[in-house]
Amino acid sequence: MRRIYLITYDVCEPKRLRQTFKCLKNWGDHLQYSVFECHLTPTDLIHCKAELAEIIHHGEDQVLVVDLGSVENRSDDLVQAIGKPYSDMAAPCIVV
Amino acid sequence: MIQPLDSNDTEQPSVDYLPARMINEYVYCPRLFYLMHVEGQFADSYETVQGRIVHRRVDSGNGRLDAPEVFPEADLEPAEIDMPPEPPKRRGKMKHVQAATLFADADTADDDVDAADPREDNEEKTRSSVHARSITLSSDSLGVIAKLDLAEANGQHVTPIDYKRGRPRREADGTAGAWPPERVQIALQAMVLRDNGYQCDSGMLYFDETRQRVDVPLDDALIRQAEQAINGARAVYDSATIPPPLVDSPKCPKCSLAKICLPDETARLVENRRLSELEPDREVRAIVTARDERRPIYLSTQGLWVGKKGDILQAKADGKLLQEIRLNEVNQVNLLGNVQLSTQAMQTMLRMEIPVAYFTQKGYFYGVAGGLGVKNILVRREQFRRADDTQFCLRLARELVRGKIRNHRTLLMRNHRQPSSITLRELKRSADHATRSDSLASLLGIEGNAARLYFGDFSGMLKVDCDVETSPGAALSEKRPAFDFRGRNRRPPRDPVNALLSFAYALLTKDCLVAATKVGLDPYLGFYHQIKPGKPALALDLMEPFRPLIAESAVLSAINNRMVTPEHFLVAGQSVVLTGTGRKHFLMAYEKRMDATVTHPLFGYRVSYRRLLEIQTRLLARLLSGEIDDYPVFVTR
Repeated sequence: MRRIYLITYDVCEPKRLRQTFKCLKNWGDHLQYSVFECHLTPTDLIHCKAELAEIIHHGEDQVLVVDLGSVENRSDDLVQAIGKPYSDMAAPCIVV
Repeated sequence: MIQPLDSNDTEQPSVDYLPARMINEYVYCPRLFYLMHVEGQFADSYETVQGRIVHRRVDSGNGRLDAPEVFPEADLEPAEIDMPPEPPKRRGKMKHVQAATLFADADTADDDVDAADPREDNEEKTRSSVHARSITLSSDSLGVIAKLDLAEANGQHVTPIDYKRGRPRREADGTAGAWPPERVQIALQAMVLRDNGYQCDSGMLYFDETRQRVDVPLDDALIRQAEQAINGARAVYDSATIPPPLVDSPKCPKCSLAKICLPDETARLVENRRLSELEPDREVRAIVTARDERRPIYLSTQGLWVGKKGDILQAKADGKLLQEIRLNEVNQVNLLGNVQLSTQAMQTMLRMEIPVAYFTQKGYFYGVAGGLGVKNILVRREQFRRADDTQFCLRLARELVRGKIRNHRTLLMRNHRQPSSITLRELKRSADHATRSDSLASLLGIEGNAARLYFGDFSGMLKVDCDVETSPGAALSEKRPAFDFRGRNRRPPRDPVNALLSFAYALLTKDCLVAATKVGLDPYLGFYHQIKPGKPALALDLMEPFRPLIAESAVLSAINNRMVTPEHFLVAGQSVVLTGTGRKHFLMAYEKRMDATVTHPLFGYRVSYRRLLEIQTRLLARLLSGEIDDYPVFVTR
């Protein structure tokens, strides 16, 4: 079961910051500066967390993982945007 | 006495070493051992991924351990050998030759020390402990190869340490213990060390979650248990027959191969050998997740160029980035028409075992690229053997045709405005007739008749008014064909509904072919459909009962929900084709159907149609290997 996670980070050093950004690009959508929305299975989550733990400095940086519930039972107003529109990533397939 | 040492070279047993890790699996579940080690199947689960993360550090070791100090010479009398004080070997064979070679040039290793661990700078003979990581050792007498995560050497005393995810077992007295599979695995590591001339009388397990070490002393009882496990595993390996699943075991839900093994489903079908005796509504534990967590990609924009950057696919048109797709979200890639996929991307798909399907722009299915196929040759061998058995083919074909007609009838009853009782009765009769048919040829006739009846009433399931008059703008509507269905036609399809049906069948063929390949079957050797060059006969067999449930149902919902409208078609001569936009809309409708869940009539749990295709194909493999007697064709109620 995939769950929606909001992953935010505060990384003090440019190199680690870039690595953190790059790592999270592989797991979710870049919503705002230092904020990603990721739809992850439990397996994905431990994988992602293990990768981040390798990158960041455990005394200086911080990553927060906020669980927003399962993808399937997502309510329509889970995320509300003011300003630029926000679009939900769920669809049965990707058609380009 | 000297014989076991001398005969080392001449005797050279034809050992196929069993990895100690696999014997761990055998103790956990013999069927798991078979699926992994004999059939070569593997799947990741939460636990396996976690285990790999735990092992990252130990796996990065250089695999080097100082050779044991005492080297018995092969031509010496045993009495002259300065044997280390250890219990006599049960199998009486010292693998000193191997010790010298496997320890990564033991002579030179001394000055080339691992810089990461300063303790290794110590003199060889000092008594302080030395650590070595990721060491692979084998033993001919046991026929076992073991990879040690960590070895702690204290002089001649070596203790193997194995890293485990999770927490230790809590013993009755509250102390930390270990489960039998882990105990056997660490015992094997210790026994292999002994066989290589080291002194070793206990092993240790390190549990990552609680950071606890659990000591496992190597006593006679454990050695006996380990030897029994080796013999048991070897017997399964040699017999090449799949052991039965565990019964209602709490181990299954956490097992990574549960979705391949289908323990409860198989047990149920084995228990009631004849399908007719099966009680319908007894539920089976839903061990597998209802849906596939990943989704397919369809690349249908002409001129698209798809490359890979990191773990992301980038779809570009005219150098402009259109979309980025994360690879860990993808379970198949479909290319329609002129779409370029870079070699780097293709290599990644092959490595990740993501099938890549090719279609023409109009949706004619060419085939699937997907590496060298599943290593599981045993089931493929059974498939070829069974395909020669005409009685077997006929029995399976009868069930498939019956299932298809039954599902046709269900679809009519559910969706038709006024289902004609005559058609329904006739379909029911044909379905019964199919089960008594005596040849494949007569089955074909029955199937054809039923299809004609069914498609005769198909238009009653279309609930849109797309008459020419109602379309806005008469000039336009002349070119836009309406959803006016008067029977099935193809090559080329001559009206929109037929165009959609053809496209849907092509997509379903692709998905059945992917499912067959995934399970290890040869998609081109069928049982009902006969061999014809380029025709994926097995995929066509598998899809028969699913034609109404997936393909036709997707067409109906695309039309009835107005996802596809007459504006989405073009007429070219006799034939009607979908426009690019129409194709995209229909793909969404098709995948929505694939993602919809349905209750399995035999097992009582809900699964998506995509998952269902895989389950049904695995059950077919069970039938081929003789584990079950009847193929439970999927029929909805």
